[in-house]
Amino acid sequence: MAMIEKDVEMANQAVQEMTFASGNEMAALAASQINYHIMGYFPITPSTEIAQLLDQMKGRGEHETMLIPADGEHGSAGICYGASLMGARVLNATSANGLMYMLEQLPVQSGTRFPMVLNLVTRSVSGPLDIHGDHSDLYFTLNTGWVVLLARTPQAVYDMNVMALKIAEHEDVRLPVIIAYDGFFTSHQKRKVHYFRDRETVQAFIGPRKEGFPTAADPKRPVTIGAHMGGDDLINNHYQQSVALYRAGDVFRQVAAEYEKWSGRRYEPLDLYRMEDAEVALFLLNSAAETAKDVADRLRKQGIKAGVISPNIIRPFPAEEIRQALKHVKALLIGERADSYGAHGANMTHEVKAALQEDRDNQTIVLSRVYGLGGKDFYAEDAEALFRMAIDAMEKGKAEKTFDYFGHVPGRLEQQPKRLLEPIHGDAFRSGLIHVTVDDKTKRLNVKIPPLRALTAKPKRLAPGHGACPGCGIFPGLELFFKGIEGDIVVLFQTGCAYVVSAAYPYSSHKQTMVHNLFQNGAATLSGMVEAFFELKRRGELNVSDDVTFVMVTGDGGMDIGMGSAIGTALRNHKLIIIEYDNEGYMNTGAQMSYSTPMGHMTTTTGVGKGQRGKSFHHKDTPQIMAATNIPYVFTGTEAFPQDLVKKAAKAQWYAQHEGTVYGKLLITCPLNWKSEERYGETILQAAVNSCFFPLYEVERGKTTITYNPEAKGRRIPLSEWLKYMGKTKHLLREENKDLLRELEEEVERRWTILKAKHEHPYL
Amino acid sequence: MLPKTNEQGFFEIRLESIGGLGANLAGKMFAEAGVLWSGLNGANFSSYGSEKKGTPVKSFIRFCEPHIEIRDHSPIATPHVIGVFHEALAKMVDVTSGLVADGTAVVNSTREFDDIRRDLRLPYGTLVIVDALGIAVEERVKINMPMVGALLRVCSFIQPEAMETVIRRTFATKAPHLVEANIRAFRRGYEEVRIQASPAPAEERTFVRPSPRFGYETQLIGGVIVAGGNSLLKNVSGSRQGFLPRWEADKCIHCVACDNVCPDLCFVWEERVDKKGRKQMFLAGIDYQYCKGCLKCVEACPTAALVAEREVPGFAEAHSLKHSFSFMKGGMEAWQ
Repeated sequence: MAMIEKDVEMANQAVQEMTFASGNEMAALAASQINYHIMGYFPITPSTEIAQLLDQMKGRGEHETMLIPADGEHGSAGICYGASLMGARVLNATSANGLMYMLEQLPVQSGTRFPMVLNLVTRSVSGPLDIHGDHSDLYFTLNTGWVVLLARTPQAVYDMNVMALKIAEHEDVRLPVIIAYDGFFTSHQKRKVHYFRDRETVQAFIGPRKEGFPTAADPKRPVTIGAHMGGDDLINNHYQQSVALYRAGDVFRQVAAEYEKWSGRRYEPLDLYRMEDAEVALFLLNSAAETAKDVADRLRKQGIKAGVISPNIIRPFPAEEIRQALKHVKALLIGERADSYGAHGANMTHEVKAALQEDRDNQTIVLSRVYGLGGKDFYAEDAEALFRMAIDAMEKGKAEKTFDYFGHVPGRLEQQPKRLLEPIHGDAFRSGLIHVTVDDKTKRLNVKIPPLRALTAKPKRLAPGHGACPGCGIFPGLELFFKGIEGDIVVLFQTGCAYVVSAAYPYSSHKQTMVHNLFQNGAATLSGMVEAFFELKRRGELNVSDDVTFVMVTGDGGMDIGMGSAIGTALRNHKLIIIEYDNEGYMNTGAQMSYSTPMGHMTTTTGVGKGQRGKSFHHKDTPQIMAATNIPYVFTGTEAFPQDLVKKAAKAQWYAQHEGTVYGKLLITCPLNWKSEERYGETILQAAVNSCFFPLYEVERGKTTITYNPEAKGRRIPLSEWLKYMGKTKHLLREENKDLLRELEEEVERRWTILKAKHEHPYL
Repeated sequence: MLPKTNEQGFFEIRLESIGGLGANLAGKMFAEAGVLWSGLNGANFSSYGSEKKGTPVKSFIRFCEPHIEIRDHSPIATPHVIGVFHEALAKMVDVTSGLVADGTAVVNSTREFDDIRRDLRLPYGTLVIVDALGIAVEERVKINMPMVGALLRVCSFIQPEAMETVIRRTFATKAPHLVEANIRAFRRGYEEVRIQASPAPAEERTFVRPSPRFGYETQLIGGVIVAGGNSLLKNVSGSRQGFLPRWEADKCIHCVACDNVCPDLCFVWEERVDKKGRKQMFLAGIDYQYCKGCLKCVEACPTAALVAEREVPGFAEAHSLKHSFSFMKGGMEAWQ
């Protein structure tokens, strides 16, 4: 963020400064000034930056907010709810499916009446997955009982964030508040903005926390929160909530009026642009309304009385203001960046129409268009086209088509999405060179593999041309693993880098069937696929060979948010393989910490600075967690030990075909976010193994075997010999962080020693 | 203050780069120099997606007089100035699309004007060449600093002193030891430019909004793709940043070490008969269309049969061995 430039002091107003910043930067700035007690969060594009920025600010000592990285958005909502139960000031930020994943918690928060603030950086809800902005997530909040504020510009993001907490905590409201602004358009575009110079100003505006409301914090005043109800009681609880939400509209007006005195910036429930005498108007939420204002100016020059309506608050819905604004408007087009499929118009269309229905004199022709989905750019020409539709309706006195999509195209019929390659399957992937047999005595598997040179005859599972970064470790790891798998595979890629770079419509790098599902649910999805495959076959409805291996591919992030799903799958012991590529962070969303990030390592949410020294707790031992589910086979592997990995793949396939679930973890390099040289990928992985940070082992029917022991080979190296390759760990080698390095070394040694004991003893 | 503006009152700049060269930061610093230190209003943003390092990115800067409110947030289609950070990008992206008739392109290159005009499809407009890579290597900074210098040369409404202030403030917190090197690289970029005026008045190339390959009549329902593997149609060689592996066949022992570590499936193998008459797999070459130049294979090679080499234009094309894929009849035509 740019720093203070010049003071902009106005009469009777608090001291403000000007900067050049994005919506996310302004949300983070407001939050740091408010100094929330707790932020529970889970990274998701495009809201992730808020937690990252707050982490950086904390590193510089600019606020004291405790930032808690949750195990998923559902967990983040739980953390926030818990903190608000104690009466703490609480912040969260999310987008799209993050909101969907926490959705069931939102009515809990509002129905038990605990205030908090959530920045919803709007983005298209999957599926298909699209990381860009629309309002499909926002519309899911409409029935949650939260106050919903909108912010069209980075300036409004700041202002709304300062006002939101005051509204939420107001004694007439006591409800959580959402501030919604457009992903990328507002969250990432930088503009000139003003902000209060002193955090004390912001805190004085909001005022102290309100006393007198029940919390779980005071043992002297015990309370029961969350008792269940029957309908006779629930209807009264919900009526209270309904009344409070409407009162929030009045409180918004009061708070906004007061805010104007402090800031000089005015926010009405409806932002009305040139609506005084408008005959045609567009109703648009958030950033698109700004574009439309330029077009309204242009049309006015042509003598067309054009205006733009954009709400600053949609819960409660400003119905009366809308009736007033539309009294003399002849034609209105409501553009919506989401659909309510099958409803003849999306949510705003129905709410505006419902408002007008109560004005018996209103004659406005209302058109509705779904536009700009998934971040589809909205140019001035688009706003003009929408205006032209309204003008056409005004001139004709009726709408030719009340509801439609805008910006969709039929495509050219001569250009069909045809198959490109001859399907490769079955024998093409059977080298016949890999032999797995069961040892009669030990009941364990013996594997014979040929020299890896011979396996180059087997086609690769993936096609080249994927979009991974130079030096990415994902695909060498996966392809080596697949070399050990004979015959057909069906793969499910959970959300993550491997998926994103290999399946960007209309392109795919997958020669065999690949399915994506969101990363909290891949293992369960593959469970269903496997069981349906065998059930269809059992009933004779599917006539293909049994020889199909089901593989789920996930990053370490997917094994955080998807841990429950993976454990459930393992406990049910479906015949499938879960393969995790571990690059020690949420690299797809911009290198936030994962639970697999080792202690002290720097990520974008575990910065290194005055206030903190990288990640504060030890890396997750996922293989041991999965081994504890007693599945038949668990292993670790890396590209740096290729024969070892190919053998393990062959075993994995045997167990997945004969007995049940297999889990394997591949450590892979991420040169971009490890801040390491691309060319040293294999060298770094060798060092990770030889330093015993990442031991190569397997747990086969409960028996642990170390498959490569650097001590026995005389190749053990100190941990620092691994850490020295990476920019993310170079601070650990400095004198002042000796204690931190020692702590990590001790943990690595402790885990290694236990592993050796397990290797020695069949009952451990 | 601004030399020229469009209908909305904007002077617009578009930076064309690949991820990792610092174009995003360059755009931000440029905008800050205008907004915070030159009395202009402005906006700055980048193309955002799931793009990774090495893939095409754009950064946009809009400037206007301070009294104008910036409401437009759509990408810049018809810029006054285009900065091309990476020449090879032209293989993947139409980098000069929409440049206004009297616009300027600033290109990081060591080549001649005519070659650049041909490859970048730039028959008109002022062309500014700067060896940003050379300066960056000598000063040990990213190429964004000399590029910012060269771009500033054609944006005289921002004083070099304003930009130096921004550079100092940007690096003072992030990397104080790099401040002076960045300032030097910036100044050299500003000074060491070659400028060629528009050779002839020409029709400006109109900007065409990209339309998707398939529409609602042709997309398979549910977004299903049957053309799995069609990423092989892409040319990702523009991700290379100056280096590639050169293969010396006579030193190769066909041990697969390179293939085991290659992220981009570049190595082409063939079955042949070995000296003892047995069928055996042999490394036959490298398909450079997919090589991103990470050089992991060079590190992995035990016999120095793979060597890191500074890429010269034409080398990859001349030495590439294409993978052989089995295409469906009519498959390739459908994807032309």
